[in-house]
Amino acid sequence: MKVTITRWDAIAHWRWQTRANDNGDNDDENDDDEGDLCGICRVPFEGCCPTCKMPGEDCPLLRGQCTHIFHLHCILKWVHSPQSKGQCPLDRREWVGL
Amino acid sequence: MSAISTKRLQKELAEIRKGCPAGITLLEADDLAVWFLSIEVLGESVYKGEVFSLRFKFGPRYPIESPEVVFVVDNTHQAPIHPHVYSNGHICASILGSEWSPVLSTSAVCITLQSMLASCPKKERPTDNDRYVRTAPLSPKDARFQYHDDTV
Repeated sequence: MKVTITRWDAIAHWRWQTRANDNGDNDDENDDDEGDLCGICRVPFEGCCPTCKMPGEDCPLLRGQCTHIFHLHCILKWVHSPQSKGQCPLDRREWVGL
Repeated sequence: MSAISTKRLQKELAEIRKGCPAGITLLEADDLAVWFLSIEVLGESVYKGEVFSLRFKFGPRYPIESPEVVFVVDNTHQAPIHPHVYSNGHICASILGSEWSPVLSTSAVCITLQSMLASCPKKERPTDNDRYVRTAPLSPKDARFQYHDDTV
């Protein structure tokens, strides 16, 4: 049998690399709901924070030394607020962005 | 309300409407910024059979800023008699003040308060209740609580 491809469409998909050894193609490997959401705004990492309109490089993620990840804009709002005392929202360790 | 608080509250409300934790019921959230929930301790406790009502007020900076949470006190509602709850409904709980975290939520706060009641061995008002209630600010968020006891 001879097949001739007359046309093809390429589809690309992106996601942030949030885990070590993450080759980007393990979307359905035990993803619990919480793990892939920003704990502050509850929007998936691949979405953007509530003050942005478009997901992508303009609304990046930030990982802390404690390994927790949030939308950059969300965690900055928190650490700049007096109530935060500069601590990670999840473990209350000092927030140091990497 | 702002984009950040509106979107977060809508998500939380949708989850709460799908199903509240046991002993917690959404009473009213017609206004996205003010919610009422009822809370009762299930199982054996000094509050057996009592149902309390909580009022949450969310500011435009929620969840960066903590919500204002009080027990409703009016003709039909009483605040629980508890060493951390004043008779005007104000609650002395660190997670509502200095230990607030934006990863907490309405249902997380309800669960914490529920377990605060569940672990209470004896119904007592805070020792400084009368003095506090006489001079208390309208919002407990303007009060300066000292959190001194983690045992109840």
